[in-house]
Amino acid sequence: MSQTTVSRTVVLTNRAGLHLRAAMLIAKTVRQFAAQVSIVKSHQRVEATDMLQIISLGAECGAELGIEATGQDADQVLDALGRLFSDNFGEDQEPGN
Amino acid sequence: MKFADFISRRAIRAELVAEDKEGVIREMIQALLDAGKIEASEFESIVKAILKREELGSTGIGRGVAVPHTKHPSVDRLMGTVAISREGVDFDSLDGEKVQLLFLLISPPDRPGDHLRALENISRQLRDDTFCKFLKKAKSAEEIEQLLDEADNNQFVA
Repeated sequence: MSQTTVSRTVVLTNRAGLHLRAAMLIAKTVRQFAAQVSIVKSHQRVEATDMLQIISLGAECGAELGIEATGQDADQVLDALGRLFSDNFGEDQEPGN
Repeated sequence: MKFADFISRRAIRAELVAEDKEGVIREMIQALLDAGKIEASEFESIVKAILKREELGSTGIGRGVAVPHTKHPSVDRLMGTVAISREGVDFDSLDGEKVQLLFLLISPPDRPGDHLRALENISRQLRDDTFCKFLKKAKSAEEIEQLLDEADNNQFVA
């Protein structure tokens, strides 16, 4: 079974940064796929299914994050997460929640 | 950011009485009102705003913790409180666990950075299982206060 890790870099462009609702959307998305996903910010690495860990990154607008996925759906989950980030988590550019 | 920067000590509650989500949220906002942190005339408006935010998705972040929050124009700085529900409250958390430990935050509409710093602080400290467990078991507001102080002094996070 292939356990190749795929990764990509995303930049947070929503004004509010990686707040709670964004963390929830990430965790919910990742839970739909058969993959282990980590989010990396400089030296910190967190599990992308765990809201508490995600918000502990304190990632603000402009932050560069690495997303790494391993498992059967690794490519699909990266695509889905890429869409979430590029869509600014569905926020209009109001300061977020 | 430290707990001391945004947790109103006089609004800490170790024994929430309410048994549902709206009830505990009201109780915590009442605690902020009793502590003189919000105006009585804003009470209902703040309750409504926090419940409306919950409709967008639960602020239950797992491990028995929730962070109900809102932006509200009546506050000029980030403020919050912490409370414990002995029995636990159903909060529709992603992990399905009942919530025993609640941090409630109210922030000025145009300060997303402060809100993010508070979330970061809360979550970093709670990643330490010992701190999280001790807080949930705290029997009094004084005990909670002491634990928050210890966390502020980096006694839990390596």
